[in-house]
Amino acid sequence: MQSEVICVRCPKGCKVKVAFEGGSVTSVEGYGCLLGREYAVQEVVNPQRIVSTTVRVLKAPYQRLPVRTSRPVPKDKVREVVKALAGVTVEAPVKRGEVIVKNVAGTSVDVIAERDLESEGG
Amino acid sequence: MVVIGGGPSGLAASVKLEEKGYDVTILESERELGGILMQCIHDGFGTKLFNEAFSGPEFACKFIDRVRDLDVEYFTNTFVKSVKVGSSLKEVVALNRQGVLKLSCRAIVFATGCRERTPFEIKVGGTRPAGVYTAGMVQRLVNVYGVLPGKKVLIVGGGDVGMIVARHLLLEGVEEVTIVFPEAWFAGLARNVQQCVLDFGIPFKPRTVVKEIVGKERVDGAVLVNVDEQWKPIEGTEVFHPCDTIIFSVGLIPNSSQLEEMGAEIDPRTRGPVVNEYFETSLKGVFAVGNLVTVFDYVDDAVETAFLAAEGVEKYLQGEERREKPTPLSPGKYLRLMVPHRVEWADGRDVVAFFRSSVEKENCWIVAKDGSGGEIFRTLKRYVRPTLLERLEIHRDLVDKAGRVVVDAE
Ligand SMILES: Cc1cc2nc3c(=O)[nH]c(=O)nc-3n(C[C@H](O)[C@H](O)[C@H](O)COP(=O)(O)OP(=O)(O)OC[C@H]3O[C@@H](n4cnc5c(N)ncnc54)[C@H](O)[C@@H]3O)c2cc1C
Ligand code: SF4
Repeated sequence: MQSEVICVRCPKGCKVKVAFEGGSVTSVEGYGCLLGREYAVQEVVNPQRIVSTTVRVLKAPYQRLPVRTSRPVPKDKVREVVKALAGVTVEAPVKRGEVIVKNVAGTSVDVIAERDLESEGG
Repeated sequence: MVVIGGGPSGLAASVKLEEKGYDVTILESERELGGILMQCIHDGFGTKLFNEAFSGPEFACKFIDRVRDLDVEYFTNTFVKSVKVGSSLKEVVALNRQGVLKLSCRAIVFATGCRERTPFEIKVGGTRPAGVYTAGMVQRLVNVYGVLPGKKVLIVGGGDVGMIVARHLLLEGVEEVTIVFPEAWFAGLARNVQQCVLDFGIPFKPRTVVKEIVGKERVDGAVLVNVDEQWKPIEGTEVFHPCDTIIFSVGLIPNSSQLEEMGAEIDPRTRGPVVNEYFETSLKGVFAVGNLVTVFDYVDDAVETAFLAAEGVEKYLQGEERREKPTPLSPGKYLRLMVPHRVEWADGRDVVAFFRSSVEKENCWIVAKDGSGGEIFRTLKRYVRPTLLERLEIHRDLVDKAGRVVVDAE
């Protein structure tokens, strides 16, 4: 069996061909870099996505803090992750990479801040 | 040295120049550094430079941190109003809350990025009620201020920004999102079609445009019409599509009006300035980088133009030798655009060029020819697509031998 997967990791959008037999991958072709090789195999075996969204932030110059999952989560969990984050509020200051929610929606993946946000006036 | 624009390209140029020992000042009109990346919260930035898929803010922060470490001077909330180019000194006039800021410098790097086309520029009929936005406005509204624009959203345009915004709105709780576009298929990147549209089953209508916006105070809907291959509306196919929000995502245009006013030559294909291999405009000592030159799909490539410009600034300030006659570089029949536009300096470095094809092809030869049609170089690309700006390196001695270079897809 062979599937063609479009790598979503970067704008190049390589078409990666993954061949597999009885559940194990036998060959991978057409990737532009190793991220894509990894992605294509995942996409065939267990499709996953990085989820990016925002959470409410208080005492900051902006109302929203951009956050994302530190690793990809299973594709069918994307909506649950966003839902789990809908009620979350944090307070500035926040540091980039700081964990905002641990083990989000039972995926065992953490949600991290995408940027620093200093507290307003400080 | 003055750098205008504090997006990734401006920051990258500043960092390189400061590292070389020049005294740099960055002028940025927004309240913080980082440019459009600060609102692009999805991942996928930096796969070429860092071999990682960062989010926009994460990528920008890499350069902002560097700017802070090197103690580069910067002003935010500062809008550059005019620039005068004298024989050696350049005068920059900028405005901020403290008043008027006047700076004189020996070289300038413009990194002002691009702006969105508006519905006015694509001739949409009907009224202009509340609820009509551009995609970038919505991205800011949602990602920075946490405000949703409406409940039933129509997105016009099948490019990347439109698709990214569609997914985001749906995840953030908008009830209904529909995308329409005049092409036969999405104009944006395959990755975005997959992970933004198909993943979520967002409905879309190819070969469809908005004929008219309907609504008095607030949008009530849009009259949609089918179009043919030439994008001409097909009479009798009009349907009313109810919605409370219409978002236009109909293309980006380089912010080059200031350069144009200063007398810099503009390329009608890119709508950005004409540049040489170090991204210097037709005004000596005035450089242009990043999305201002042409819209880059990869921030990594935009950053590369900034690094090249930093080298160029150094050459300019050291009075290095230029060629007697520049060698023009131009796109052939199957390329929509190409930068840079000429090779002007006398040195040994290979020429880095970026082009956008007007055709989609797998295993495509990219061929460079000299003025008389003789082939000087060819390279095989796995895919070329109109949606992807491709990078190409051309050997300097090949350029040296040719009187001009024309690059085309075969
Ligand atoms: C929706 C979207 C998605 C993208 N996705 C990806 C992706 O997944 N991966 C990837 O690699 N790339 C992506 N890109 C491309 C990448 O974002 C751009 O290539 C990059 O941001 C260009 O940077 P820049 O510095 O040239 O322009 P900008 O980031 O636009 O910066 C220009 C700056 O100049 C300032 N300015 C303008 N005029 C003035 C003035 N007169 N005075 C003072 N300051 C001024 C502006 O405020 C702005 O801060 C995406 C782009 C968009 C729009
Ligand atoms: S394989 Fe690598 S280069 Fe190709 S799309 Fe994926 S991340 Fe980008």
